[in-house]
Amino acid sequence: MAAPTVLTHPIARFVVRRLAYSAVVLLGVAVVVFALVHLVPGDPVRIALGTRYTPEAYEALRSASGLDRPIVSQFFGFVGSAATGDLGVSFRNGDPVTVTLMERLPATLSLGLAGMVIALLIAVPAGIYSALREGRASDAVIRISSQFGVSVPDFWMAILLVGLFSTTLGWLPTSGYRPLFDDPVGWLRHIVLPAVTVGLVAGAIMTRYVRSAVLEVASMGYVRTARSKGLSPRVVTFRHTVRNALVPILTITGIQLATILSGVIVVEVVFAWPGLGRLVFNAVAARDYPLIQGAVLLIAALFLLINLIVDVLYAVVDPRIRLA
Amino acid sequence: MHMTRTAASTALVVLALVVALTGCSTGQRVDLGDGAEGGVIAAIAGEPDQLDPHKTSAYFSFEVLENIFDTLVEPAENLQMRPALAESWEVSDDELTWTFRLRPGVTFHDGSPLTAEDVAFSYNRIIDEELTNVDKFSAVTSVEAPDPATVVIRVDRPVPNMLTNLGGFKGMAIVSRRNVESGEIATHPIGTGPFAFANQRSGDSITLVANPDYWDGAPDISGVRFRFISEPSTALSALQAGEIDWTDSVPPQRVQQLRNDESITLAVEPSNDYWYLALNEAREPWNDVRVRQAIAYAIDRDAIVQATSYGTAAKNQLAIPEGNPWYVPYDRYAEGGLDKARQLLDEAGVSPRNLDMLVTTDYPETVTAAQIVADNLAPLGITVNIRTVDFATWLDEQNKGNFDMLMMGWLGNIDPDDFYYAQHHTDGTSNAQKFSDPEVDRLLDAGRVETDRQARFDDYRRAATMIADQVSYIFLYNPSVIQAWNPALQGYQARRDGAVRFRDAHWAQDGDA
Amino acid sequence: MTTRDDTRISSWKLLARNPVTLVSALVLAAVAVVAVFAQALAPYGINDVDVPNALQAPSLTHWLGTDELGRDVLSRVLVAVQASMRIAVTSVALALVVGVAIGVLAGYRGGWLDTVLMRVVDVMFAFPVLLLALAVVAILGPGVTTTILAIGIVYTPIFARVGRASTLGVRTEPYVRMSQAMGTGDGYILRRHILPNISGPLIVQTSLSLAFAILSEAALSFLGLGIQPPQPSLGRMIFDSQGFVTMAWWMAVFPGAAIFVIVLAFNLFGDGLRDVLDPKQRTTVEARRRER
Repeated sequence: MAAPTVLTHPIARFVVRRLAYSAVVLLGVAVVVFALVHLVPGDPVRIALGTRYTPEAYEALRSASGLDRPIVSQFFGFVGSAATGDLGVSFRNGDPVTVTLMERLPATLSLGLAGMVIALLIAVPAGIYSALREGRASDAVIRISSQFGVSVPDFWMAILLVGLFSTTLGWLPTSGYRPLFDDPVGWLRHIVLPAVTVGLVAGAIMTRYVRSAVLEVASMGYVRTARSKGLSPRVVTFRHTVRNALVPILTITGIQLATILSGVIVVEVVFAWPGLGRLVFNAVAARDYPLIQGAVLLIAALFLLINLIVDVLYAVVDPRIRLA
Repeated sequence: MHMTRTAASTALVVLALVVALTGCSTGQRVDLGDGAEGGVIAAIAGEPDQLDPHKTSAYFSFEVLENIFDTLVEPAENLQMRPALAESWEVSDDELTWTFRLRPGVTFHDGSPLTAEDVAFSYNRIIDEELTNVDKFSAVTSVEAPDPATVVIRVDRPVPNMLTNLGGFKGMAIVSRRNVESGEIATHPIGTGPFAFANQRSGDSITLVANPDYWDGAPDISGVRFRFISEPSTALSALQAGEIDWTDSVPPQRVQQLRNDESITLAVEPSNDYWYLALNEAREPWNDVRVRQAIAYAIDRDAIVQATSYGTAAKNQLAIPEGNPWYVPYDRYAEGGLDKARQLLDEAGVSPRNLDMLVTTDYPETVTAAQIVADNLAPLGITVNIRTVDFATWLDEQNKGNFDMLMMGWLGNIDPDDFYYAQHHTDGTSNAQKFSDPEVDRLLDAGRVETDRQARFDDYRRAATMIADQVSYIFLYNPSVIQAWNPALQGYQARRDGAVRFRDAHWAQDGDA
Repeated sequence: MTTRDDTRISSWKLLARNPVTLVSALVLAAVAVVAVFAQALAPYGINDVDVPNALQAPSLTHWLGTDELGRDVLSRVLVAVQASMRIAVTSVALALVVGVAIGVLAGYRGGWLDTVLMRVVDVMFAFPVLLLALAVVAILGPGVTTTILAIGIVYTPIFARVGRASTLGVRTEPYVRMSQAMGTGDGYILRRHILPNISGPLIVQTSLSLAFAILSEAALSFLGLGIQPPQPSLGRMIFDSQGFVTMAWWMAVFPGAAIFVIVLAFNLFGDGLRDVLDPKQRTTVEARRRER
């Protein structure tokens, strides 16, 4: 009888299945993204060169971007190169897209994470408190407040915050980014306003999820059993309810992180944050198609990756899911 | 218990990895840091479309190129021309031969020596390929380098403004042949100037480092990073917070209040710039001068000046500003307004319905003015469709003639020829509106060779008047050069021609901001 | 056969009993009035430039003040709200029709069609909202049509999922099986059994999607990619206010407040509707009430 190998382990099988599924979805995204360039009315290379147009530059850029080959060949070339990390060169300045994207990734990641931290600081206590006080006035207040958070346009909040804290009070800078290891204090000062903007909205959304996760757990069997054993309500709350709600909360955090990372475009533009979001926006304004393609592909891949990690963590923790 | 611990430790590991990743700085940047390290961080409002001085016409490009390149002669603070790459020069008695002696020991940023060959190459390139500023060389018959230190330029007629033609701004910079032939000049320019190009991060900044071998002495500052900040209020706040050291992107509505702000040095200088509207005469009905005049009468200049400059600009119906020795007063369109406009449209027998107006986000004054223009022309039944694009696209559309009307400015002019020739001569390289009048051509050509000051003044006075009467441009106003910088940054001066020169700047002895 | 009539009567009662939902409904009614009659309600023209009176604080002549070109902020906000509503309604209608069609089809037919369609929907879910909108703008250029298309495409997946989920829930019901066995046409089954069942969650989703459509449109206009000047748009007005936040706070506050109030109303109303119309949720609510 053969010993069980890694591959027969249920979690490994689950991961492989989900990876394959994500790969298919990513391929679909690649198709859409690839189609972008070819749906453009007009000649994208000509548009991109603009005033720098010369017949030589046009030909050079065209063949460097592979646009002179048949479409099918182009697509496979695109996918093939993308798999090895080559996403082409920017139409604007000829820099490799992958390098540009990697340069901008850390800034977006810091913003996303910092925003996430703030969101959790708001959502977890508020969600738990609201769930425990379910049905009462304080619950209603928290629920309606979270609706407020969801309904505020983030760029509006950003501008008002900047107007108050930067321009009027002068406490915080209006824009820019400092890497953490270079200048920790600067990093903190620069990230506060953007992270608060991102975090408030995400926090509002997450409060509702935390609340319903805690409510669901609270109504489950083992909590009632614990109470019947004579443990005081407070102990029951913090030990069992919260701990077991941690799993769905983790799931939600993962999903929200993905949403945040992709939603920071507007915040990055307002705060002149040198991240992926602002890069995509500038690329769209400048019709830099390779850069748009590369950025969209990268962000979608990140999104899928985070969802995958969340799913795997969920499966590790909850056996029922693995068999699905 | 077990599963929580596993989940927790996994999460911790992931978190640590992510923090490590996001905390790293992106290695490739040449980090000049803040003032404490000796560099200057300058914020300009838009990104240069390219860095080839002979091909670009964008002010953003020249703000950067001013520091990378040199010309044979250059304007001093009072805009008089003085030696630069050329140490001395002579004009032959018949005024048809100019001989320049080059300064010895000048090198390009890549170490290669500057020779007369490079000067000849630069000028011949502009002439042969008919690049942007070729009209400055219209009288030139040959450019030669008889020896490595001498350049001889022959012309077919006297050129009174030869020096401003060769050095008025960096459009006639001396470039390196190798840099041009490798094709790198548009993205990695190599010049002889006080600062060398280090790198460009698209959408973010361009970094220059000091050239220790600069012929006029190594700069005191270690370098300049030009950051692109399109929102004026963002740039200003960054300056006040000490994140940047210099900017010319100052919201005009704040100027009044900034004059009393001691945390920054503010300069408001009358300039030789001007803003205008141009109607595309290759399209109907704008080819009819009466229709163009109608538009000129309908525009509310006062409102445009107020809304775009908050009192810092001077209204002007011609290009050359008051205070400039070549100034000519003219105000034909001040009286008449909408009634006169309607009358002219009736005479022309047309009633245009739509007008496609091309403006750019990189110059917010154009977007503001466009909305006023839309309001001004509505009573005439004309709907103005405002098309807002980025500057690179704007340039492209202008050059393709894809517009009914556009608004733009010309910056850094010195000689009256600079103000009028390229834009209004039939063969002018910047005549996107396709204006053509033989008498104006004759006057502009005459002004180029006229050596008698008074006669020259008359030529340009008559040319300018005709240009305005026939509405080649609808001139609007002369803005001021508004720049603001950190008071600790000394030795820098705001110039009337708008050239941004950091070579003489240094930090005050008691440290950074 | 169904007990829909009884349900309907008590639905309205439940709805009216919740004060929050009632207030949001009233706000939405006011917004609808503005959306239809904006031009008549606006005291000034939207492009009445009056530079000498620029940057005036709110006063009796200009209730919400004037902007940097002297235009009346109130009039511009009213017309901008109308424009936003038009775009939101059109794009959500588009998303609803296409999305529900895809979802119901997938849920009803099942099999490979279901798998393929849902994979396509998954691909679209991989695209974050604003990113997809930007991609559409990159192809088609900025403007109202592009905005409607972009928002419509982005919200289609969610309607597809709602449609499919509800269809799946009903497809296995005995009365549907019986109808199919009797040879009733699919069209009849769809109309009589399936569609009424999904209307509840669909209405809820519509309200919530309208909220986000308005936010998305504002974000696109803010970035300069949506409604083009001089047509007023709430997002663009906020963008233009950036240089004047300290001098003229009303330019930033009122357009943003308008967006906030409308979106909040749609969200709260949608929530209230969900409590009433979505049977699963409703059972939980009632069950909890009983327990206490």
